[in-house]
Formats: sequence, structure tokens, C-alpha cells
Amino acid sequence: MESQLSALLAKAQAEFPTLATRPDFEAAKARYVGPNGEFTALMKQMGSVPKEQRPAIGKLINEAKGKLQPLLDAALARLEQAELAAQLGPAVDPTLPSPDIGPGTFHPLTLVREEMCSILRKVGFVVADGPEVETEYYCFDALNTPADHPARDAQDTFYLPDTVRFGNVSKKTAEEKYLLRTHTSSVQIRTMLKGQPPIRIVSPGRVYRRDTSDATHSANFHQLECLYVDKNVTVRDLKALLDYIFASLLGKDTKTRFRPHYFGYTEPSFEVDLSAKHLPKVNKEWIEIGGCGMVDPTVFDAVGYDSTVWSGYAFGMGIERLAMLLYGIDDIRYFYQNDARFLKQFA
Amino acid sequence: MKVSLNWLKDYVQLDAPIEEISRAVTFVGLEVEGIIRTGAPKLENVFVGEVLTRDKHPNADKLSVCTVDVGPAGGVKTIVCGAQNYKVGDRVPVALPGAALPGDFVIKQAKVRGQLSDGMMCSAKELGVAEDAAGLLILTDRPALGTPINEILPPGDTVIDIEVTPNRPDCLSHLGVARELAAWFKKDFVYPEIKFQGAVSAARPELLQGVRVEAPEDCPLYSAHIVTGVKVCPSPAWLQDRLRAIGLRPINNIVDVTNYVMFEYGQPLHAFDAKKIAGNRIVVRRANDGEKIVTLDGKERTLSSRTLVIADTQKPLVVAGVMGGENSGVDDTTTDIVLEAAHFRRQSVRWTSKHLGLSSDSSYRYERGVDPHSTIEAARRALDLIVATGGGQIVGPIHQEGGDKPWLREIVLTPDYVRAKLGFDIADAEMKTTFEALELSITRDEKLADGSVQWTVAVPSWRDDLDRPIDLVEEVLRHYGTERIPAAVVQAPGLTANDDPIVQFNRRVATKLVGHDFHECITYTLRPEKEVATWASQTAAAELRLSNPFIEDQSHLRPTLMLGLLESLRLNQSRGVAVSRLFEVGRIFVERNGQNLECAAVAFIIAEDQERRWKQRESADFYTAKKLTAELAAAAGIDFTRQPLGPVMGNEMGWQADHSCSAGDLQHGWMAHCGLLNLAMVKSMGIEGKIYGGLFAILPEKVTAESTRLRYTPFSLFPAALRDLALVVEAHTPADEVRKQLAKIARAAVGNVFALENVQIFDVYQGKGLPEGKKSLAFSLVFRAADRTLKDDEVNAVFLKIQDEIAKAGTYQIRK
Repeated sequence: MESQLSALLAKAQAEFPTLATRPDFEAAKARYVGPNGEFTALMKQMGSVPKEQRPAIGKLINEAKGKLQPLLDAALARLEQAELAAQLGPAVDPTLPSPDIGPGTFHPLTLVREEMCSILRKVGFVVADGPEVETEYYCFDALNTPADHPARDAQDTFYLPDTVRFGNVSKKTAEEKYLLRTHTSSVQIRTMLKGQPPIRIVSPGRVYRRDTSDATHSANFHQLECLYVDKNVTVRDLKALLDYIFASLLGKDTKTRFRPHYFGYTEPSFEVDLSAKHLPKVNKEWIEIGGCGMVDPTVFDAVGYDSTVWSGYAFGMGIERLAMLLYGIDDIRYFYQNDARFLKQFA
Repeated sequence: MKVSLNWLKDYVQLDAPIEEISRAVTFVGLEVEGIIRTGAPKLENVFVGEVLTRDKHPNADKLSVCTVDVGPAGGVKTIVCGAQNYKVGDRVPVALPGAALPGDFVIKQAKVRGQLSDGMMCSAKELGVAEDAAGLLILTDRPALGTPINEILPPGDTVIDIEVTPNRPDCLSHLGVARELAAWFKKDFVYPEIKFQGAVSAARPELLQGVRVEAPEDCPLYSAHIVTGVKVCPSPAWLQDRLRAIGLRPINNIVDVTNYVMFEYGQPLHAFDAKKIAGNRIVVRRANDGEKIVTLDGKERTLSSRTLVIADTQKPLVVAGVMGGENSGVDDTTTDIVLEAAHFRRQSVRWTSKHLGLSSDSSYRYERGVDPHSTIEAARRALDLIVATGGGQIVGPIHQEGGDKPWLREIVLTPDYVRAKLGFDIADAEMKTTFEALELSITRDEKLADGSVQWTVAVPSWRDDLDRPIDLVEEVLRHYGTERIPAAVVQAPGLTANDDPIVQFNRRVATKLVGHDFHECITYTLRPEKEVATWASQTAAAELRLSNPFIEDQSHLRPTLMLGLLESLRLNQSRGVAVSRLFEVGRIFVERNGQNLECAAVAFIIAEDQERRWKQRESADFYTAKKLTAELAAAAGIDFTRQPLGPVMGNEMGWQADHSCSAGDLQHGWMAHCGLLNLAMVKSMGIEGKIYGGLFAILPEKVTAESTRLRYTPFSLFPAALRDLALVVEAHTPADEVRKQLAKIARAAVGNVFALENVQIFDVYQGKGLPEGKKSLAFSLVFRAADRTLKDDEVNAVFLKIQDEIAKAGTYQIRK
């Protein structure tokens, strides 16, 4: 028995390290310790061993078993490792670029719009939206723009033929014409008509002017307007908002100033200049950036708000203009060409 | 409008530096477009000198060495000079050492090619009074030696080009601007003194019998004065200088005076040669349709019956308020003139100006609003100047039609109201000072019962823009200075509302597509007709056309975002820039049953990746587009996958048949298209390769903020039993139809004993081993019980039953 055991062990010691695959291993394992294995067969002989020899034989068998098991374990571990190694394949070259396309990018006008909206959300403005096809009432009449005002002229504003109907853009009167909105102030009117003050909205969106396209003009462009309606809103509050917006956007060294101006829907009205000499490519001390003012009582009358109770301010600016300033872009047409070399710079 | 600083100084003492004045103009609300200096600048140490000798420079052919006498300013100097246009005895400007010429050119004693030069003889250009430099400025008037040069050069002026907002027509005049500056600098404002106070002499019917206004609604006031014995001649230098400074060309004294007073008072005037008024009558009437007049610019104009003209008994003389005719103007032979000062309704002038495509300084002022209460005063000012420059005598009574309705406008205001609107303190006294300076007189100053102050403010006739207390708040603030608005912290209550659902939708889809490696594009809304007709339909093109496009290739509203995206792709391809994935979020306009719908939309395109890469990735196909489009719809709360999918129909021609699909219908609020874009159409746009795309559009009002709160569905923790089944079906049968049919049969077979969890397609095969026109669809059926592990037997029984049912139905064959 002893010699049989040591012969078996020797055979196993020679065989297991040479096993190359898991099926080989499983077959070999079965040949030793499976139900019909050689080692199992030796163990089965225990029954026929005389009783007094049993402890000694038992000890031999246990010792042999103790030597066999590590051989099996080692072989298994070796095979498992080889299997994992096989899964890996050759080492990667981390310096190769990813063959996947990307990353995607937001358009710079979106980035600027979202940044402005987020600055304004912090001080309580929610983002409002409205149609781009508008009617004369929402775009002009309600905003105190008289019927013969040059801004309403077909020279400057795109109109749609009288015969055209828009199923989901409401008209105030049947006779009024559809047009492409010239400012997002029409959203202010729709918002005020829909709800009650206090109102604090920002309306970004696409607007249209009948104008030559060049480096600084485009047939459509984007605006962003704020409207605040509440009790006791003052000019000082308006100035505070503008100071806050541009300090948030461009840093606290930024200054703003108001120049008295005229708009039909605000009184008093101002043009807003900002001074941000720390920006590159800014070679003027004051840059005109938008217009603002206190909501004209006529506008409140038009939407049915009591102008002796409610007051408010409005501010509007061009998103392209701001983006050009922020990123140092000198031609508005780049925004609409979508050259990937341009777009990818805003990743 | 250009304003001359010298001119303004006639009415207000302006001694501040130009930077301060420019700042003042800006902060009273008149935008400064530019500042132009004219005439000679202040020139120290430049005097009149006489060339005594001129000798050739010993070391330079083109230079001369001269002795020049500057008289009491320094005696005889030696000066080297390079000019050629002078001779001994000429008097010329001489800059002595220390003089600073324009361009920071400081004259020093210097050696020129070895010869000492003690100054410089100057050209007009070097003195900053002319553009050309054809040699020295020869002073042919021979002014006294040593005269400081500024005394004999035309005085310098500074011209401020200002942009006047439409509410301030009063500032389209020097008096208006001066009044504002006087208020800003707190200086006195002085009107010009007017000597003529109305003629008293007898009528002169041989010069002018009368004036008749036939259209008083468009001409509420017409006045005519007669001056006889006038000498038409060039205007005096001061008048010419002022007109030139503001960019006008002097003509003769009469025309120049009418222009001068227009720019002084803002009141357009017109002078007729009395001899040219046929019948000696002036008629203000509407033109006859087709009537013609040659205006002063030499062009023949055809008038309509809406045009107001000033006519004599035979012909129109002037297009009222716009421009005079060639036939009636003042010329060198004129001796008797009729001076018109009138008021025309702004709408009438605007219509005429637009209709004729003719605008003038006069029409510009009438369109914006001229003060009818200053008309006669302006006429008298002009008469003074006509007599002063051309002699003559004002004769006869004034011929006046229409009148000066008394002007009275008062605004009741409390200083507390002003402070409340501004949000900071301004003293009553400071407000009063401003009002007075702007001639807004406080006619009543009361103390109310509650102790507060109340003012009644009278508005002058030229300030038609002031009507309400809030308008006066602006006046106070303008002159207080907007730069003095105190800083403050924004008062911000918490948000109680969320952004508009559309805004949230736009943000979600953009974020999603950027996450899928798309570049966001922004393209024009306006597209050419041909494109719209081709990609949508002729009907759509007819409905989406603007009535007044600016240029022909931007004439229609876009019916889809695809066109702009393809154009952007084409641009990149033509520039050799590799780009594959583009998207846009924006409005589109879709024609449905004869009406248009404005939709919120998002669309993407995927072009073949043209970048050369060291390792190939699988390219996108229809199913890539389908998945992405489903995600876009999901962002609006719409489960695209549960909708019946059909071919793209109707107004959407841009999609490739059999390789694209459509879901939804705008009639019900939304629509989606996805798949391959029409190969031929894409190619016709000059784009290479296959383009897949997707578009989701929704009516803005259908995007809602409400989202249903999701509920959790319990799931079994016991293992599933899987069975695979392949069915042979007609090749054109949609897979999902088969899947649904199979699921229905399987569900019936399972009954309530356990559950059919899923029927999923995992293989589609067509070809060898199958009959022609057939395909094989392989499905995996997943069975599971909620409460136990399923036994093979029970699953097998059900699976057999399913196969039996399919065999019995006979539509599909089981593939063995």
C-alpha cells in the first residue's frame, strides 16, 4: 500500500503541472480522486485492511491525501490564472487616442444663455417661453408702440401674408397681422396676461429683424429679457440687478452704467454700458450691452394691471453680442455656420 | 444730428473741456456718435512772418535757407524750408520754437543738414486747417507781422454728432441741446434776441395776394412773410462756418438763413422767389394723382392725391415739409421773397417721404414732431437774419392760416412720488432746480393735508413727450445723473415657480444629445422657397412664405430643422472638416390642413464618420436613429416605442422610403421621424454619404410640467425558465407584429399558473435554407413564477401548447 501511494503521488506530481486546459485538469482530477479514480480505489481498500493495521494505513492515506490536494489546488490556480491572462490580450498603448467620436458640445449661444439664466434664477427669475411667430398686438400694441412707429414698418419687421393662419398662435383681434417677433418682450405680455403679479421672468429666445447680414447683424438673433413686476420696484433695484448680473458674469471688477434713453415700453429708459477692461479684446472703456427701464404704466394698462399698485422693471440684451464679448468672437456669422472647428472650442 | 460747440455757446456758457461736455450730452440722454474738430486748433507760438530772403541750402538741392521776419513776435529768424510755392515777400505762418502743431509736433531749434533752423514755415495741413499740403499757406491778405495765427485763421470748432431719441424732437436743434446742457451745467440759457415783432405796413398783393389751406387736417398752421429788395449773395463767414461745421454746404444768404434757423429752432422754413409764385397765391392742397414736380435734388417726382403740396395757382412748388421744387427757389436774381413757416402733420410728412423715397432734414423733423408754438418765432428769427445778411424790407401783414391753439399742459406731481420711483433720496430743491432749468415751471406749490408737498408743473410746448408724473421722474433723474444711483443688493425672494416646460424640454434634449457626442448647431429659421418646396411640399411653401422677405434665399419659415443641419454638414465637408453628429433645438413651422403650427422641435443627423481612425467602430444605422429619437420623445414624456410606426408621409419628402419611419401626428400634438434621409436629395445638396437622422416636434402647449409619479412593480426573486422559438414568416411581415401575436398566444397558454415575463426577438434570418420570400424570426420566451422555481415539466407543457396553437393558426411556421 505504501509503495502504491508513493507511486501514485509521484505520478501526480509529474502530471498536474503539465495540464494545459481545464478539461484536461478535470479529467486528470477524476482519474485520481473521482469515483473511479486510482486514489479513491486505494481508499476503498481500507475496508479490506485488517483492523490493527488500519490506523497506520489510515495515516498513510491521509498523508498522501494531504500531499495530493495541494497539487490539485496549485494546478487549478495555475490554470485559472492562465485563463484570465488569456482574456486580457496584449497590453494597451495608453497613448493611442480613443477611436470613438466625441465629445459632444453645446453651442456657445446656449452656453451663454444658460449661464445668464442660471445667474438670474439665483435671484428669483424663472425662464419663460413664447412663440416666435407673433401678432402685432403682443409684439407692438401692448408694448406701447404706436401704429405708425417705424419699428413696425415692413422695412424692418418680417410679416406673414394676411391669408396665413397659425393654429396655435393666438391673436388678440382678427384683423391683426402675424409677424416674426422683433424682441422677446412679447413673452412678457403673454406672461402678464396669463398670470398675476408678482412676476419675475427671464425670456431668452430667437428674434427677427429685417436687416442686412454682416459681421454684426443677422436676420435672426437671440435676445434675453428680464421682467420684474411687484409693488414698490425702483430704479435703484434695476441698477442693483444689472450690477449683480454683470459682476456674476464677468467678475466683481465689472462696472455698469445707465445712459438715459428712450423705449416705448419703459419710462424712464436707459441703455446699459459695461466696463470690463480685464476682458481681452475690449479696447473701449464702456461697451453698450443692452437696454432697460421701468415698465411704462401704459404697458400695465394694456395687460390689465393697476399701474398705481404695481411697478416693475425690464431689461433686455442680445445674446450674440454678449457671447462675442465673452469669447472674443468678431463675426456673428460664425454662430450660424456651425464649423466644427468653431463648435469644438466650446467643449 | 451734428451740433457745433461754438454755436451752442451763443445760448449757454460752456467752458468745460470737451470731454465733460461730451459726458454731459451722454448723460442727459443724447447719445454721442462722434466728436469732430474743425477749423484751426489753438496754436501757440505761431505768427505771421514775411520771407525776406531765400537761398539754396548749401548741402541739399531741395531745401532753401530763408530769413523770415516775424516782427514783434521775435524779429528776423533763419529758417530752413523744403517747400517750393513761395517767393520773397510772401507772408506765411511761422511756427517758432516751442510751438506745438497738431499731431504733437513740437517745433525746436534744430540743425537741418548743417544749417541752423529757428522754426518752421507752415502749410495749411501742418496747422490742421486743411487736408492738402501743396506747399506753404500763403497769407494773401498780408496780415500784420507778428499777428498770432489764430487771429487770422478761421476759428476752430468742435462738432458733436449726437443721436436724438424719437421722443426728443426738441433736441434736433441747437437751442434744444443748449437748454439741456445749461440745465446740466447749471448755467443760464439765453434765447437769441428777436428784433422783428410783426409787420405793420400795407398789404402787397402784387407780391402775395393770399394763402389758402385746403387741407387743414394735414397743415394746421401756415404762415408767409414777404421781404422785398433783398440782395441774394454769399452768406457772411460766420454763417458759412457754422453751416459747414455741421456738414451743410452754404448756398446763398437766404437759403443759408432758412437752414440756419432750422438747425437753431428745429423749425423747417422755406423761401420762395415771390416772382415765381404764379397768380401771387399760395395754395396748400393735395396733389392731383400723377402731378409732377422736379425737386431741388433734380429728380422728377410723380405725386399722388395723398401728397400735400404747396402750390401756386398753376403748379406745385414744394412737396410740403419734404423738399422744395426747382421752379420756385431763390436764385441770384431774386429780389423779393416769401418766407414760409408752417406746421405739417407728422403722419402726412412720413407717408409722403416714404412714398417718394425722399427724406430731408425738414421731413426728418416733421416726422418726429415740430413744436407748432415756436413756428412764428422761428420765422421772425429768420426774417431778422435775412435782413441782416441781405438787406431788404419786411413788408405787408403776415399771411397766416390756421392758428396757434393755446398750449397748456400741467402735471401734478409730489416729490415723494419721484423718490419712491427712484428708490433713493433727492432733495425737493434739487428737483425744482432741474424743472426750472428745463422751463418746466412749477405753477402751484402746495402743502397737502398730510404735510407732504405737491407741485403742479407746466410743460412747455416743445416737450410733448411729457404727459405723466413718471415722465417727470425721468427728467429729475437725467439731470441728477444716472451715475449717482446708489448701489444696492438685489432683493430676491425664493423661487416658487419652475422654468417653462418647453425650456426644460429643450434643456433635457440638448443635454442628452451632447451626451451622445453630438455638436449643437444653431441655424437660420428662414430658408429658400425651393428647399421648402422640395423637402416639404408646394402647399407648405405657399403657407410658410413671408410677405416681405429681405433676400430671396431667406423667404420661408423652416418646416424642419434638417435643412439647416444638412447645410452645416455640407459647409464642414466643403471645408474638409470631419464632423459626424450634429443637432439643433428650435422652432419649426409645419403646415397641416391649410394652417400652420409652430412647434418646438429637436433634430439630429449622423453622417458617416470621415475621420481616419486607427480602429474602426461600428457605424450608425436606422436603429441608432430610432433609439435616439425615442429618447427625445421620452424627454417630452412620450413613449415612442409604444406608438404604431409607419412610413413617413405627407409633407415630409426628405426621408428615404423603406429606410425611415414616422410616429405620432401633429394633429394630436406631436410627431417623430427617423431613419435614413433621402439619398438623392442629400446628394443634390452636395453632401457625401448616407445620412441618418431623427426629428421630434411637439406643439409647445402640449409640453407639460406634470409628470406621472412612477410606481414600483414587484419582481420575482425566483429563476426564469427560457425557451427559444423560431418562426418562419412572410419576408414583409413586421417583426413586432409577429412578436405581439406570439406573445398573445403564449400568454393564453400560460394562463394564471405562472407568468410570461417577456417575448424578445433575438435573431432575424433570411436566405439559404429558407424558401424564397420568407424570413425566420427567433424569439426568446421568458417564463417565471412569483412564488417558486418553475419545473421543467410545466414549462415544457406550456411551450408545447404554444407550438400547437401556432401550428393551428397556420399564419406562421415553426422553424425546426
